[in-house]
Amino acid sequence: MSTLQFLADGFAIAFQWQNLLFAFVGVIIGTAVGVLPGIGPMSGVALLIPVTATITSGMPTSAAAASSIILLAGVYYGAMYGGSTTSILLNTPGESSSVVTTLDGYQMARQGRAGAALAISAIGSFCAGIIALIGLVLLAQPLSNVAIKFGPAEYFSLMLLGLAAVSGLAGKSMTKALMMTVFGLILGTIGIDAVSGIARFTYNQPILFSGLEFLTIAVGLFALGEVFKTVLERDGEDGAIAKINRIMPTKQDMKDSAVPIVRGSLLGFFIGVLPGAGATLASFFSYMTEKKFSKNPESFGTGNIAGVAGPESANNAASGGAMIPLLTLGIPGSGTTAILMGALIMYNIQPGPLLFDEHPEVAWGLIASMFIGNLMLLVLNMPLVRVFAKVIQTPKKYLLPIIVAISFFGVYAVQYTIFDLYLLLGCGVAGYLLSKNDYPVAPLVLALVLGPMIENNMRRALTISNGEFSIFFTKPLSLVFIIAAAAWLLIPLLLKLKGRAVVVEEEG
Amino acid sequence: MSKTFDRYASIAFLLIGLIVVIESQKIPDSAYGSAVGPKIFPMWLGAILLILSLRLLYETFKYKSESAAKENFQYKKFAIILIGAALYAFTLEKLGYVISTFGFLLIAFQTMERGRILQSILIALIFSVGIYYLFSEFLGGSLPGFPTF
Repeated sequence: MSTLQFLADGFAIAFQWQNLLFAFVGVIIGTAVGVLPGIGPMSGVALLIPVTATITSGMPTSAAAASSIILLAGVYYGAMYGGSTTSILLNTPGESSSVVTTLDGYQMARQGRAGAALAISAIGSFCAGIIALIGLVLLAQPLSNVAIKFGPAEYFSLMLLGLAAVSGLAGKSMTKALMMTVFGLILGTIGIDAVSGIARFTYNQPILFSGLEFLTIAVGLFALGEVFKTVLERDGEDGAIAKINRIMPTKQDMKDSAVPIVRGSLLGFFIGVLPGAGATLASFFSYMTEKKFSKNPESFGTGNIAGVAGPESANNAASGGAMIPLLTLGIPGSGTTAILMGALIMYNIQPGPLLFDEHPEVAWGLIASMFIGNLMLLVLNMPLVRVFAKVIQTPKKYLLPIIVAISFFGVYAVQYTIFDLYLLLGCGVAGYLLSKNDYPVAPLVLALVLGPMIENNMRRALTISNGEFSIFFTKPLSLVFIIAAAAWLLIPLLLKLKGRAVVVEEEG
Repeated sequence: MSKTFDRYASIAFLLIGLIVVIESQKIPDSAYGSAVGPKIFPMWLGAILLILSLRLLYETFKYKSESAAKENFQYKKFAIILIGAALYAFTLEKLGYVISTFGFLLIAFQTMERGRILQSILIALIFSVGIYYLFSEFLGGSLPGFPTF
């Protein structure tokens, strides 16, 4: 079957009424998640996994997986839309990839052009979403055909590259990022070893036999960590929200932002495909590029619409691009995609090259639903921007305890153990302490997801080679991945030694 | 960034690494005598964590601590909410979902900001009852119901 045929089948799945509803609910919640301060795309997606798991519990496995992932991905790219709203109206980014949007977006709002800025960011996000999806459609099949030829050695090295990429760019100190990665891998070894059936680090506690639940750790580290941070360090008074006058951008605005949108989308897409380099880097680079190409770069920071259009397109394109390594290689390149991967694994569906053969309805249904979801976002966001602006005003007093209650509900509804609730609280405190002190938690979660797979592939490769580690270096593709992984870690280090500023990816 | 925290953290992770290395020695080797048993991976990881922690410990002696502005932490609020949440976990199965959730939310709302007790009660009630019925009646999930004395 051709790619177009698969895509058509995907649309048939995405147009099923329940999946349309799931995409709709996903993008609405996603937008709200992006708008609400203190809850980002990672915690938003993590919080919703158990909810979707229960809603879809009556369906056959792969239909349930398709529906859930459609909703969760909707939350992911919806949050990328929503994040710009607070940047523009409040000068506080809803999630970290919208940080650069504050520079020009808030200035525009102060000049009474908030509506235009919001509209342009919605239009830019839509174009970016579509461009990223076209890239996804074109690249998915060829990439997974290549990946299908990988042996365990190649897989091991590729996953190593994924981990190195995420740790290399995360946080201010690479030592800390690597520590978090290794610690995540260690946590992943708890439980019964899948190959030999031997219990590791379980100390005869039956609760530990199945290992630490990824969902509990992710919700604790991200969602509760953020809640505890806000409770402890009250961010002071909430700022005044800029007024929205007219929503539709003028012709001049459209003309000024058309090229930045296209440039931002392409740039964002390619950055998104790279593991480790997520939406924050994409929006940052797009801003720098627009400034470089601009005829009057000094107008940036004073309300230049190109400074909103470019980065906002880039961060959405990046989130679309990040789906490629996840779906085709089974390597999540960011924290949020790691959580999406965890969700798929919960349904016993392994993302990776075989996904397109074994579960085409999940892969293509998701891709098709992203077209629909992006359209929904555009249609919703233009008229509803005022409504979403109201969401910002949700008092923290009610919001924070409710996030705690939702995460308790979510974890308990899936795990049915009180142990996981205590673990959740512990992870919340740890998440707060760690991220406050620049220990990035995204690599930890990523390592926890990838750990068992890395180990299995390593052991399979070593069994093939009779215990010779040279297998990882003699297979050419594996060697390339290992060299790339080393470069990813060493180049920022060398740049830092030379005194250059290194861009840091704060969130995935 | 706090130097003291980094120092304690590096020592903590150093100990974790050490324990992992020692404990992984107790994992039996694979039964079929393969070269790569279940203990090699965790043992290496422990060793790498140990080395990285030493590196971080060394780094803490190099950099100067940033004299952070005295932040105004709300320890009391945080402590009440954390203990409240722990009690919530403890009572969830004993008192059932609705009662424990309602109790936790009410305490947490009032801890965040005193006053408006009626509004707090209403929101806590709507949330706990709403979630319970939506989930267990409508979606067919199971949550601990009400206590039976």
